[in-house]
Amino acid sequence: MSDATRTRIGALDIVATVSVVFALVFAIASPRIESQGEAARLLFVHVPTIWLAYLAFAVTFVASILYLATRRLRWDHVAGASAEIGVVFTTVAIIGGMVWGKATWNVYWTWDARLTLTAIMLFVYIGYLALRRVIAEPEARARRSAVLGIVGLVQLIPVHFSVTWWRTLHQTNTFRPRDIQMDGPILAALLVSVAAFTVVYAALLRHRVRLEGLELAAYAAAAAPVGPVAGDAVSAPNIGNSGAQP
Amino acid sequence: MSDRFWQQAFAVARRDLDRERRAGEVTWVMIPFGAIALLLVPLAIGINQDVLSRIGTGMLFVVVLLFGVLTAVRRTSIETPEQRDLIALLGIDPAAEFTGKTMASAFLLLVFQIAMGAVALVLYGLDISGWAWMIVVMPLTAVGLAELGTVSASVAASTNAGPALVPLLVTPLAIPLLLAATQTVESVDREGGNLTWPVLMAVVVLVLAIVGVATARPLQETR
Repeated sequence: MSDATRTRIGALDIVATVSVVFALVFAIASPRIESQGEAARLLFVHVPTIWLAYLAFAVTFVASILYLATRRLRWDHVAGASAEIGVVFTTVAIIGGMVWGKATWNVYWTWDARLTLTAIMLFVYIGYLALRRVIAEPEARARRSAVLGIVGLVQLIPVHFSVTWWRTLHQTNTFRPRDIQMDGPILAALLVSVAAFTVVYAALLRHRVRLEGLELAAYAAAAAPVGPVAGDAVSAPNIGNSGAQP
Repeated sequence: MSDRFWQQAFAVARRDLDRERRAGEVTWVMIPFGAIALLLVPLAIGINQDVLSRIGTGMLFVVVLLFGVLTAVRRTSIETPEQRDLIALLGIDPAAEFTGKTMASAFLLLVFQIAMGAVALVLYGLDISGWAWMIVVMPLTAVGLAELGTVSASVAASTNAGPALVPLLVTPLAIPLLLAATQTVESVDREGGNLTWPVLMAVVVLVLAIVGVATARPLQETR
């Protein structure tokens, strides 16, 4: 393994690990919510993961615009990496929500507007990742996926406002600055958890962007002319130009 | 936008509509296929007139969405890289090309919606009291779907997976349009009409138009 491809553990990774431990301690130590039992502790995973999904797709949107404006492939790497992480965290948010739903609503899935639209949002970005996989040439892939990264934001609007537009089973948005209905210790644990997940996102993004750079280097190396091949040493016979006519 | 821009846009739209007039895919393939889909639903869920009249508007827009995707898919399969290069070499403004293609697709989708609306009215016995809103909803749905289809077809053009990829790209992105279209009609029953949903559709259509025009040039460069 060369030095360039070796995984380096940076300060951000250490901060991410420590903050996850902190978040876990806060989540376990937070008071029990009597109405929902222990299942309510899923709050400390469910809310941060869906927050990260929003953040990741918003970063994809901004990085896509920056790529089209600057044409620097670094922004395309950020957009692609962020979308990948967003897809993972959206999946975790949906699965966590289903487990929580089973505990509170007694069903894994219900045709709730927030649930359904979040699942559809997942498919938008699965499509985005599928597009990235079918185009090998880095510049073409970057430009086309940047367009989709921008259009994808259209889907975030109904997902976010779904709990307001429809009377759904899902509760309204957790963070409403003027109307926080949560006990202090639970709110503190939730905020620590959101902060920890955000640091984890930043650490994952850093590694994934580095990997994208390595993939680009590998593509460039594969596309570059190869070294000497059999037959290179053989040169065409010099017939000369003596002026003799056949 | 200059006269030249609109001349180019109309020329592209005319080309696409001429192509459709010759092939007749919307008239002879998509409309009968959509009608069959609307006919199959009652057979699948049971023939209960109350249920059918309640779900009819939603089914209409689901069929419009799913079959509208075919318009975009068709474009990825019939336009060759050479044709796209020729358009670029002719000096046609990419934004005008996007506008022209969108206009042609929107017109075809509007025709498709009107035909499907008539079929749904007959088959599902829909209450047409709230259908005055359709004058607003149908054109907005057609333009929004056409914009999404045109952008997605350009994004997936010249890739081996193009025809398979476009439905995956268009269908989830069209959900805001589908929701707003059905909710507009349903809101008439509930509260006598609500402007929120048509406004949401108009915003989505406007955002897609801005994105389509702004990204047309970078997409042309990737050919």
